[in-house]
Formats: sequence, C-alpha cells, structure tokens
Amino acid sequence: MTDVLTLTDVTKRFGRFTAVDRFSLRVPAGEVLGFLGPNGAGKTTTIRMVMSIIYPDEGEISVLGQPRASQVKDRVGYLPEERGLYRKMTVDQTLRYFGRLKGLHGHALSRRIAECLERVELQDWRRKRTEALSKGMQQKLQFLIAILHEPELVILDEPFAGLDPLNIELLKALIDELRGRRATVVLSTHQMEQAQRLCDRIVLINRGRKLIEGSMHEIRSRFTTRMLVLEGEGDFERLTHLPGVVNAHVTTAQARLELDDGADPSAILKRAVDVARLSRFEIQRPDLQEIFVRLVGADRQVGAGDAGDEAESGVTAARRTN
Amino acid sequence: MRKVVAVAVREFVETVKTKAFLISALVMPLAIGGAIYGFGWISRSITAGELPPRRIAVVDYSGVVFGELARQCEAYNREHPQRQLLVAATAAADADTLAKTVREGEWHAYLIIPADVVDADTACEFGRKDIQFETGVQLQNMLNEAVFTARCRQTDPPIDPESVRELQRPAAIRTIDVQTGEEAGDEAARMVTPFVFMFLLFMATFGISNGLLTTVIEEKSSRVVEVLLSAVSPLQLMAGKILGMAAVGLAMLSVWGGVGYASAHASGAGHLVTGYRVTYALLYFLPGFLLLSSLLAGIGSACNTIKDAQGMAFPLSIITIVPMLCWMYISQSPASTVSVVLSFIPPMTPFVMILRVCADPHTPMWQIVASLALLWASVVVAMWASGKIFRVGVLMYGKPPSPRELFHWLRYA
Repeated sequence: MTDVLTLTDVTKRFGRFTAVDRFSLRVPAGEVLGFLGPNGAGKTTTIRMVMSIIYPDEGEISVLGQPRASQVKDRVGYLPEERGLYRKMTVDQTLRYFGRLKGLHGHALSRRIAECLERVELQDWRRKRTEALSKGMQQKLQFLIAILHEPELVILDEPFAGLDPLNIELLKALIDELRGRRATVVLSTHQMEQAQRLCDRIVLINRGRKLIEGSMHEIRSRFTTRMLVLEGEGDFERLTHLPGVVNAHVTTAQARLELDDGADPSAILKRAVDVARLSRFEIQRPDLQEIFVRLVGADRQVGAGDAGDEAESGVTAARRTN
Repeated sequence: MRKVVAVAVREFVETVKTKAFLISALVMPLAIGGAIYGFGWISRSITAGELPPRRIAVVDYSGVVFGELARQCEAYNREHPQRQLLVAATAAADADTLAKTVREGEWHAYLIIPADVVDADTACEFGRKDIQFETGVQLQNMLNEAVFTARCRQTDPPIDPESVRELQRPAAIRTIDVQTGEEAGDEAARMVTPFVFMFLLFMATFGISNGLLTTVIEEKSSRVVEVLLSAVSPLQLMAGKILGMAAVGLAMLSVWGGVGYASAHASGAGHLVTGYRVTYALLYFLPGFLLLSSLLAGIGSACNTIKDAQGMAFPLSIITIVPMLCWMYISQSPASTVSVVLSFIPPMTPFVMILRVCADPHTPMWQIVASLALLWASVVVAMWASGKIFRVGVLMYGKPPSPRELFHWLRYA
C-alpha cells in the first residue's frame, strides 16, 4: 500500500526549545491514525509542518507524494485546533468561500454545500450569519470546511474538543464515513476512549519524540503487565506489599494492583479472600489511557533529570490521575 | 494565483460592505462638498436677504468727525440698500447710560468719539450687545475714512483727501507662470494643490492599510486564520489581503478624486488637476501602498489586539506623518536639500515626491526614477520580511514580540 504521508527525521526548533525532535512517521492510504500526546508534546507543531504552515528545520516531509502540502492543499482537509469563523459571513458564504479556496467551483460547489449541510442537519441555517450559530453548530460547520472538497487526506486536530455527546457520536459517524470512502485520516486527540474506538493505529509522542507506535492490539500486547482489579469490603492495603505487585491504588472499596510479569494472580486472590469479602475479581490489560499515562509519566521522569523538580511534580500528578 | 484572487475578492467585498468604508468613501466627501456648497449658499442667501436697519448712536466730542461719518454711511447705504446702517448724532451721555439703551434694544450699538481723536490716538469706544462682526468692520472703515478726512482738513494748508486717495490707488500686478508663459490664476489654490494630492494619497494608503492591520488582527483573534491556512499559504493569504485592500484604496481614491475633480472644476480650478499630476499620484500610490500595507500586515500578524498593533506601528506612523507636517516647506522649496533627502526615506517617499512633482513639474527625472526604484526595492524587502513574520506571527498568541524576537522570527520560517 502506498504511503499518503511520510515524515523522516523531522526536527523543529523555536529558539532554544525543540518542539519536534527527529520525528518519523508513515501513514498508509486508507488508514485512520491516532496521533496522541499530552499538551505541548509537539502534535500541533507537527501537523502545522505537514500542512506547510511552518517548515521543519531538518528532515523530510512527503504529503500525497509531494514534498510540500502547499502543492496538494486541495487534496488535503485540515481541521485546526485553533479554529474560528468569519462572524459576519453567512453559513453559505463561508462554505462557498472556503470551497473556492480549495478549488471547487460553480455547480459542483453548490451541490457539495447542499449535501454537506444536509448531512449535519444545518440546511435551515444556510442564510444565517455564523455568529448566530451555537457552539456545536459552529464546530460542525468547521468540520464541513475541512471535508467539503472530499480530500484524500484529512487531518483533524482535537476534533472532539468542546463537543457534546450527541455531536461526538455524529463526528465519529462522519469519520467512519471518511474511512468508508478510503480517505486517510490523521486524528489528534486527548480522548483516549475515542482514539481506541476509531483508530487503526496509534502514535504516541511526548516532548517532540515518538514514544510508541502500532495498532491498538500491538500496543496493548506489548504491555505484558496486568492489572488486577479487586472490589469488595476489607483491608486491601495489606495486599500492596505482596511479591509481584509493582504498583497499587487502593481505596476502601477497590484495589487496582499492577502485577509483575512473573506474578501469579491466583496467589494474590487467595490472600485477598483472607483480608476482604470480595464482590469482583478481574485481570485486565492496561487500556490506552493507562499506557498513555505510564509512558508519558516515565518519559517525564527521564526528562526530569535535566528539567528539574517541576517535571518531577508533573510525574506524581500524572500518577495520581491513574 | 486563483486563491490569491479569491482572498482579494472577499477582502474587497467585505470591506466595501462595512459602514466605515461607506462613510469614509461616499458620505465624507459628499458631506464635505455639501458643507462647502451649502455654506456658500447659506452665506449668499444671507447677504441677498433684507436686514433690518442697524441704528447706531454716535456721541462726537471732537465735533469734526460725525459729518464725514454720516456721508460715508450714506454712500454705504446707497451700495447696500438692503443692509442699511444708520448713524445718529446723540447728545453727550456717559457710557453707562448709552450701554443701558443698547441693552434695552433702543440702539444696536453706540460709538463714542473722543475730543482729541484727530490729533492724538485716543481710542474710540464701540459698545454692542451681541456679536456685530460686519457692523464693526464697516464702522471701523468708515471711522478711518472720516478721521483721515478730518486730519487732511486740519493741516496747514489743508490737503484734499480725494487727491491723496487717488495717489494711494494700488499698483496692478500680473503673475505669469514662467513654465507655461500663461497668466497664473489663484495663487492660494496653486499652493494647496500639492497638499490636496498628498492628502488624497495619504488617506488612500495609510487609511486603508490601517484597515488591513485591523482585519489581520480580527482573523487572528477570531481564530479563523489557521482554517484559512489549511487552504492557502501564509504568503497567498497576505498577498490576497493586500491586493484586496489595494483595490479598496483605488476605489476610495477614485471616489475622492472624482469628487475633488468635480469640485475643482466647479470652483474654476479644474486646470490644476492635470494628467501629469494624476499619473504621478497613481505611480506613487501603488508602491507606497504596498510598502505600508505589507509592513502593517506584518505588524498586525505579530499582535493580538489593535492596541498592541498601534503601539508597534507608532514609529511608522510618526515617520509617515512628517510630510504632512512639512508640506508647506516641501511644496515651496521642492528642490532644497531637505526635500531631496526626505524623498529618499522609503515610507515617506511617496508623500514627499507627490508634493514635489505637483509643486515643481521640473523635478529632475533621475530623482523620480531613483525614488521609484528605491520604493519598489523596499517593497520587495518589506514583503519578504513581513511574509516571514506573518508566517510565524499569525499563529502566535500571547504578548506581542519585542523587536529582537521579531528579528528571530525572520529565521524561524
């Protein structure tokens, strides 16, 4: 399968700050890629370089076979994280303007506008100024701008931010439709649950560097550690010092124990029966959220060596959210 | 290019639709023209209408002035039958009593002529209730003539005042334009012409490119700019915006120029609007506009609020305003060293040069060519630098950068 997007050792610095550090990536045609990372990890900078809004200091980028997205902008759809609308233009004028900027004209443009508005149920708002739209409607309109010209590659930067559950479902359906017509989608998000459900493959970056890459299955199987979840009444604290338990989060009603590779869950279960009246016992693979927190936390700890106490406290904060 | 045009068209349409543009482009010149014509009409209709006779009480202690004053008054009344001025000799009374009668409306005003008015320079006293501008001027003239006549009669031997007036008649002068060999018209209109052209140029460039600053900041603060950048490159966006605004500037220039030309014709100064001057105005408008607007687009992209941007654009505004302050000097000495030096400081060049070429049709051709070349060269530099700053700045939020940071931005992009 041909690659729609490739980045090779891409580096971008802003003064002394390195935003993206020798980052490489290949996105084959038709894939839905989840581009994950904490705030300030370099996601938006990377996406802006892909869109040739800014240029990398080092490394190569190829978009749809071209070294610069500027040459193929009409075949790429982009929903930026920082997005707005012309307040005084109507919905129709807005779509018409952006459609023209993306190479659509005349009849084809009118047909696409009608089609898209129908799909997201905005057709009645066509003649209204965008400032009259609710926030959710504005978000839908912004999404339409990104896909109006039926692009082969769609880049969505935090598309779920600020959407209500209904609109999140609509957006997921629309992304599935993109997949249905074999468009390639790069999706940057904080919402692990959405990424887990939508994406064929995940790339996790932190401090401008790639931490992990692979399909959901690959990534989860790479983390052989297991989570032991116990629920009930009792003194779960006494389980945290058992051999094989690497990490533990205990409340009065629940314990989440992270197990070593060699640990035997049934041995722990036996002890648990002694100390508590159990209502639930389950062995889990870590989900994306946990993998994310663990990897980013560990990476921060590495960075803490040179970054000092501030990063250190960041780690503990991240741990607590686990 | 297709995208640049699409951006330009939107910019033009959206700007022309705004109230600010309608007011400045259409309503303003119409209002100014209307005010000028209206004012003329009002003052004509006032002078044409009949005015109630103004009665003035005169107390003449000298005893030699009133007779001549009354004669002067009669002559005036013959010439202005609708604006009669009546003087009446009144019995001696102190100023307070006279003032009271004026306050009560018995008289329009009073005039006390002291006894020694002919020999010494003792002041006469003119008392009036409300503003009597015209009456005051007329009375002053008549009083001058009356005192002058009285002095003539007092000299030994007496002089005939009419023969002195005859001797004092003004010498006629004819002003010839040495370049055309024709008789020159209104000197004041001639002097103001370069200023008018510069002012038009100034309004069209500075006024409009400031509009560009505003729209760049609006696009930034409404966060629409990155959506735009998904379809066009930063340079295409900047070029489109500048092009659209240049069209707005030209539209405004033609409306104002048209109104100006029409009113110049109406007031008989049409010959001052020559093809030569219009050509140079356009020749300097284009690079002048491009230079200012690309600088302001760069500044706008680096800032997040109009206030920050205006602060950053302040030095530029100061430089550009210099020709406005020195227009009198430059248009009267277009070939002086200062004028020549000022014409080679790029942001000022278009304004100084338009003053100079309008004031002096024999501005050396090399200076015109060199100043245009310099202007275009600085346009290229400004566009390059602003393009770089635009690329970085347009996506930067937060506090505006220092000049040093701006310099670094030139290397980021």
